[in-house]
Amino acid sequence: MKIVVCLKQTPDTEATIKLTADKQGIEEQNIKWVMNPYDEYAVEQALRLKEKHGGETVVVCMGPDRVTEAMRTALAMGMDKGVHLKDDAFAHSDATGTAKALAAAIKPLSPDLILCGRQAIDWDMAQVPAILAELLDMPQVTVVAKMEMGADGKSAVCNRRIEGGEEVVEVKFPAVLTCDKGLNEPRYASLPGIMKAKKKEIKPLGLAESGLSANDVGKASSKVQILEYLPLPERPPGKVFKEQETPDMVKQVVKLLREEAKII
Amino acid sequence: MAEKFVSMRNLKFLLYEMFEAESLTRYPYFQEHSREIFDLVLDTGMRLGKELLFPCFSEMDKKPPEFVNGEVKVHPLVKVIMRECGEGGWIGAQAAYEHGGQQMPNLIMSAFRCIFSAANYSAAVYPFLTTGAAFLILSFGSKELIETYVPKMFAGEWQGTMALTEPQAGSSLTDLTTTAYPTDQGYYKIKGQKIFISAAEHDGGANVVNLLLARIQGAPAGVKGISLFVAPKLRPEGGKLVPNDLQCAGIYHKLGYRGSPITQLALGENNDCRGFLVGQPHQGLKYMFQMMNEARIDVGLGAVAIASAAYYASLQYAQERPQGRKVTSKDPTQPQVPIIEHADIKRMLLFQRAVVEGSLSLIFQCAKWVDLAHVLSGDEKDRYELLLDILTPVAKSYPSEMGILSVSAGLQCLGGYGYCEEFPLEQHWRDARIHPIHEGTTGIQGMDLLGRKVVMKDGRAFMLYLEEAGKTIQEAKGLRELAPFAQALAEALDKLKRVTGHLTGIALKGEIELFLADATLYLEMFGIVAIAWQWLAQAVVAQKALAKNPAEADANFYQGKLFTCRYFFGYELPKIEGLAARLLTGDGLTVAMKQEFFQD
Ligand SMILES: Cc1cc2nc3c(=O)[nH]c(=O)nc-3n(C[C@H](O)[C@H](O)[C@H](O)COP(=O)(O)OP(=O)(O)OC[C@H]3O[C@@H](n4cnc5c(N)ncnc54)[C@H](O)[C@@H]3O)c2cc1C
Repeated sequence: MKIVVCLKQTPDTEATIKLTADKQGIEEQNIKWVMNPYDEYAVEQALRLKEKHGGETVVVCMGPDRVTEAMRTALAMGMDKGVHLKDDAFAHSDATGTAKALAAAIKPLSPDLILCGRQAIDWDMAQVPAILAELLDMPQVTVVAKMEMGADGKSAVCNRRIEGGEEVVEVKFPAVLTCDKGLNEPRYASLPGIMKAKKKEIKPLGLAESGLSANDVGKASSKVQILEYLPLPERPPGKVFKEQETPDMVKQVVKLLREEAKII
Repeated sequence: MAEKFVSMRNLKFLLYEMFEAESLTRYPYFQEHSREIFDLVLDTGMRLGKELLFPCFSEMDKKPPEFVNGEVKVHPLVKVIMRECGEGGWIGAQAAYEHGGQQMPNLIMSAFRCIFSAANYSAAVYPFLTTGAAFLILSFGSKELIETYVPKMFAGEWQGTMALTEPQAGSSLTDLTTTAYPTDQGYYKIKGQKIFISAAEHDGGANVVNLLLARIQGAPAGVKGISLFVAPKLRPEGGKLVPNDLQCAGIYHKLGYRGSPITQLALGENNDCRGFLVGQPHQGLKYMFQMMNEARIDVGLGAVAIASAAYYASLQYAQERPQGRKVTSKDPTQPQVPIIEHADIKRMLLFQRAVVEGSLSLIFQCAKWVDLAHVLSGDEKDRYELLLDILTPVAKSYPSEMGILSVSAGLQCLGGYGYCEEFPLEQHWRDARIHPIHEGTTGIQGMDLLGRKVVMKDGRAFMLYLEEAGKTIQEAKGLRELAPFAQALAEALDKLKRVTGHLTGIALKGEIELFLADATLYLEMFGIVAIAWQWLAQAVVAQKALAKNPAEADANFYQGKLFTCRYFFGYELPKIEGLAARLLTGDGLTVAMKQEFFQD
């Protein structure tokens, strides 16, 4: 079977994010970039499926040159090859633009399965896989925490986390699945894997080769307009109540929660 | 608990900006490698360190190995680490392709080992002790020995050990008595006792392969009669593993580094412990010593790694702990300042950084020479081997001795909390204490440096070292800001030459005991000067980088380097004055002191 993993490179969860002076973006130089943590589950799942059922695994990623680092990590883990959507025209795409670009790269591959992370930890929108499924006319199952291949090899039973429990669904391939924590334990890149990764192909795919036009992607197509980036507001200092009788203090706290914080 | 134990920024500064790791890929042996591969290796090391080793750092100390019915139970992490390092190819990473390795430069793997040791020193010992033992077999063993043992060791299935020490033979390996009795079956029967052998028995692997020193029956006395053997816990026989009459008689309860057992071994109590000769008879110590340079440099690396973890824990604490006010503002209505604002705390942090990054720089310098000596031949190879000969005792001892003081300064930054188990500093302090002891005590290193390395080949190694330091001085002289430090280092080297001349003069007069009496102090002085050299070299790189107006975070990093260099020259280098004064006196006080005078 042919499995495509959509991968995004995101800042490390531990990175300190600073805004640029013009508030139009974040300072990228000193950030450590990593594979979006949820995408690791997707890569691992692809590798396990291939180990069991054979086939080919392809990682697809859109972004500037630096994203090849995350792609190499996926290749070092064991993915077979990569397609790198790389063109200035793709920059500043919103979720729809991104999904369009990914769809254009993936369609000619005719995959049986497309695996994504449940969301990217930078924007946390979880939009791209859904739009991608729509564009490719495939069913999608989100937040998959368990997956069993069907006996026919052309379907799967997936457990997805929902509030208060799990939902079990069957899906026919080709399909888009988004992978959640718990689906598997992602492996570490091995040294032989790292050495082999160097020789694996990462095919660049520009706007022209993708068959899209400049109006489909990038800022031009973006329905989401980013006006300004703002830092998280500083947490206001807390109020400490002490040296009074407890019931009195509780009364004051409740009053403030109701009148000032307006949360009860 | 503090999360940072090592700085990737600093590792990359040293590897790429200082030692130009990529330049190694020019040599055919390393040609498959690239910066991209090195970065992936470091990233993977960091992930393994953060996700696997570091979370068990304190637990492995609090639940040390247990000796139950002749077996040693270790923390479950050991099995996981050995498997990950085996499957990941990290144990045999430096070996040649035909032996299942990936020909990784020692320089890069030194950084990898540094990450592991900083995350959890005890846990890091298991895989990398195995690396050392496997390399001994690879370097000197027969094809059959290599095929039988090395793949299992590289796979992390079998633990490797170095079994030298005996109760009566610690520093003095001449006095080994474990005996190998020849048989006509192609193996020897071993009888004897070993103590303090790290990881020679535990349930984290399927077998243990001891690289053991013993004396073949009838061999000449002294070091010339010592041979090297493979003595496994279980020996392969008829397609099975059978017990090899090698009993663990117990484990020692130690001050620190508690996650890894040191064992007492009884060999051949039932006359059935088979040892397989590695290489030629009576060459054992020579073989061991060929591997010893790297093993000793790695001890220095372990010491730096622990000090690094302690430094980052104390740095974080110092930024968060409010206590007291600036001496200039005693107003009690004002909030307290974080202690990092106090000059004395900054001094202790700078001291730690100076020790950690200065030592690491020297160790990486040596690691690169190991790589160059490996791929070069003729005069060039000789040059790097001689440099390694002379700097190995320094790269082992300076970090080991100063690492303890560095961790102690870290602990001091935490005040009372530093002394308590809730913070990692007290454990780092206990863990760090091993390093001046194993792989040759500081005393032995001092005598090795002064009695052997400095005088060998008419002082050629010493000359080469002066040449290397001279190059750095020349470079630094060309930078206005660093010229005074270049001058200070030149003067320090002159002083070192003077002291060396004075001491070797005593040796020439045949007063050998007097010559070596203060060898440890000589080593200390040599070490301070060598680290000053490394700080100057780092300052050169930082100064040049600053001139290119880097982004803010980088500029701060380079400024930090320059300040720490200034700290070293201002606070540490002057310490050689006292040492030199003592060494130039040479009145033989400790030689003259008598045992009886200690009676009271
Ligand atoms: C945690 C730990 C792990 C170890 N792991 C291993 C291992 O895996 N394999 C192994 O083989 N060994 C191992 N050892 C043993 C270690 O290498 C020895 O303890 C060390 O070499 C010192 O030997 P010793 O303990 O017999 O001390 P001694 O040799 O008795 O030394 C005692 C003191 O006397 C000094 N001294 C000794 N001889 C002289 C001299 N000629 N001149 C001046 N001073 C001298 C020493 O410097 C030291 O200060 C380990 C030890 C420990 C504590």
